[in-house]
Amino acid sequence: MPRGGWYSVGVVLLFALLPFVYGNHALLFNMMMYLVLAQGINVLFGFTGYLPFGYVGFFGAGAYGASLAILLVHLPPVPALFVGAAVSVLVALLLAPLLRLSGAYFAIASLAASEVVYYIVSNPHLVSLTQGPYGISLAQVYNSGASYATMVVVLAMALAAVVYLRNSHMGLALQAIREEPISAGFAGINVVRERTRAWLLSAALAGLAGGAYAWHVSVFYPKSVFDLNISVFAIVFTLFGGVATLVGPIVGTLLLYGLYNWIGISQPEYFQLVFGIVIVLLVLFLPNGLVSLLRRAKIHVP
Amino acid sequence: MIAYTLLAGLLFGLYFSLVALGLNLVFGVMRLINLAHGDFLMLGAFLAYGLYSSAGVNPVYAIPAEIVAFVLAGVALYYAVVPRLLSSRDPEMLSFILLFGLSQIIEALAVIAFGNDQRAIPATVFGIHPVSLFGQTFPAAWAVSAVVSAAAILAVYFYLYRSRLGHATRAVMASRDEAASTGINVHRVSAIALGAGLALAAIAGAFSPFMLGSIGPDMGIRITTVSFAVIVIGSLGNPLGTVLGGLVYGLGLMLMETYFPSWANLLPYVLLILILLIRPSGLLGKRVRLA
Amino acid sequence: MSPSAPLLSVERLSKRFGAFQALDGLTLELAPGEVLGLVGPNGSGKTTAINVISGVYSADAGSILLDGRSIGGLPIHRRAHLGINRTFQVPKPFRGLTVGENLEVAAVYSRADRAEIGKCLEFLELAPLVGREAASLNSAQQKRLDLARALIARPRLLLVDELGAGLNPVELQRMAQTLTTIARSGVALLVVEHLLGFLRELTTRVVVMDAGREIFEGSLEVAARDRQVIDVFLGG
Repeated sequence: MPRGGWYSVGVVLLFALLPFVYGNHALLFNMMMYLVLAQGINVLFGFTGYLPFGYVGFFGAGAYGASLAILLVHLPPVPALFVGAAVSVLVALLLAPLLRLSGAYFAIASLAASEVVYYIVSNPHLVSLTQGPYGISLAQVYNSGASYATMVVVLAMALAAVVYLRNSHMGLALQAIREEPISAGFAGINVVRERTRAWLLSAALAGLAGGAYAWHVSVFYPKSVFDLNISVFAIVFTLFGGVATLVGPIVGTLLLYGLYNWIGISQPEYFQLVFGIVIVLLVLFLPNGLVSLLRRAKIHVP
Repeated sequence: MIAYTLLAGLLFGLYFSLVALGLNLVFGVMRLINLAHGDFLMLGAFLAYGLYSSAGVNPVYAIPAEIVAFVLAGVALYYAVVPRLLSSRDPEMLSFILLFGLSQIIEALAVIAFGNDQRAIPATVFGIHPVSLFGQTFPAAWAVSAVVSAAAILAVYFYLYRSRLGHATRAVMASRDEAASTGINVHRVSAIALGAGLALAAIAGAFSPFMLGSIGPDMGIRITTVSFAVIVIGSLGNPLGTVLGGLVYGLGLMLMETYFPSWANLLPYVLLILILLIRPSGLLGKRVRLA
Repeated sequence: MSPSAPLLSVERLSKRFGAFQALDGLTLELAPGEVLGLVGPNGSGKTTAINVISGVYSADAGSILLDGRSIGGLPIHRRAHLGINRTFQVPKPFRGLTVGENLEVAAVYSRADRAEIGKCLEFLELAPLVGREAASLNSAQQKRLDLARALIARPRLLLVDELGAGLNPVELQRMAQTLTTIARSGVALLVVEHLLGFLRELTTRVVVMDAGREIFEGSLEVAARDRQVIDVFLGG
């Protein structure tokens, strides 16, 4: 088993079995969704150093791609999910030139890009295609059990992707690019190709999560699947746990989304306050996240 | 119609220059993007709103209070976090994330303090008569906002080009290390620039009820993005280039609102992406750092 | 001029940054296993020459031939595959990775195996540091790691930028031996260096640059007596 493999199997089994003993399925589903998104952020930010503020754009594109495949082409939900992921990957391909930008420029440009996708999808002139601002209803295919199971599979795919990066030359090459892109070129790495692959992989994960989310909730508005807070949550969960590891984003998501569920739903502003303070403290005192505490104690973290 | 659109574009262009000016000043001096810029603008809006609703203070007279409060806030913020960040391994990314956290804190505190309701200051605070300009009539609030913006831009010009502090500030903009080696107190200059940047945002905030619609705690991130678009269009790190970016954006926005209203929302984002990809140096000035 | 067919041949290379002409028609040739020193005052274009030959910048005009084949339009990794590699004045290791991982990254594309990585680590005295994070190395160690990363890629042409700067006399002596060993194995070296004593250990042949142009080519001893070279170094 590759490093981190057993952890991944454990997490997937946990979410597959918990619904039989724990009743709050919405919490479990959303937690899985954020686990997928956090690992997607991890692929891009953790391994390549690009911080995609507009990551939610891929999630929304996947949700709409899958929904329109169901509504317009009458595909069954599971194949439609892959159409959603393909739409996200297509959007990512169109936006690939953004990878020429570095640091904060990339972060803000990707945010702008997700807003562009949002305003196009929700434009009243496109009602005949996307339903514009009125949102999507997939009531005819609603199936809470099957869509939950689908998200478990998507989670397994996301974890497998990160386990692969943690154990492969590609993961090492991506980290080299993140650290020093010019030296990476002299190490023989095709920098543009590798980071584009990471970008597409990360978009595909968000697209799958978006499609599974659309199917699970079955009624949603463009605002709710292009909500910037989705990017923000996934980014902070990842940073909090620790990037470029398998375990960091898992720990970050379980703790912080758990906290959100505890205080955030009834009093979102207090959660946001805690959230902001966590970010500031993290940057000042623990920039490599919680798992760096384990590393300091010489415990290996997959 | 076109004359009205162009003139309105100029008035809004001046105002958007002010909205973005502080962000560019801070970027020029510290090479960091203040992701909480829009949130400081929001706080400035609430300060003006508070003074108006509690004591009937006209937003123009709120300006001195805005300056004092936000210069102090900026200086305090600088000394609290920036020197520590600059010595870290990846100052650009870490400060970006930290300011993002700060933006979350400010927004949360604003919701806790003011609630989620949208607020407005009636435009009649500047009188009920519209202003006539080259045969076109505009709300007085637009004209007042544009005049205040122009005055603030001039003030920044005198600060940067006609004062000793401004001379030192421009030296830090050119090169932080070299400025330090010539005996300039880089921290003091930067702290004041951050204070000035926040104060400019706050002044813009005082007029946002008339120019950007109602005010609410969640307005920050959108304004930060629009401001970033404006300074990228003009020239990153060159405060006066902001004016060019503001005018281009203001005119573009008014033309879109007039001829393609349902797509106007896309304008700042599309402009931002296109400029970053096609002409990263902005319409004038320095290059964006590329990966 | 060169003893055998040139490995690298650079012709009339020019590069401008805004109003500053960093390279102005530079021409030079280098044979396999040969060591050529590139010297000149600050701003004379030495580092720009290395940056353009290695592909960090593209040239405005002129040609770069490797084995007679033009490589001027190729991206960095393609040049690395063809056998061009380099070190940096300020070393650029992958700071967050361990010393061992730094070399593994480069080994993927050159298919160097574990034994070869081990030998390279021994050769550059990095073996005891294999598990350490690159960021924690001192500057002399980072320079050797930079060199190791370049060597693992199996270069035929190695561009060395100010490797001597900041090293103490003992380290300088060792570095000179290391570079000489590398050259003897058949790798051509283009060495940008301020420390002429260090350079003298490596080669006798130098090109002196001023304002982006070659003003002298020949032996270091003759260069030291050349009127124009002296003027450039003393008068600026």
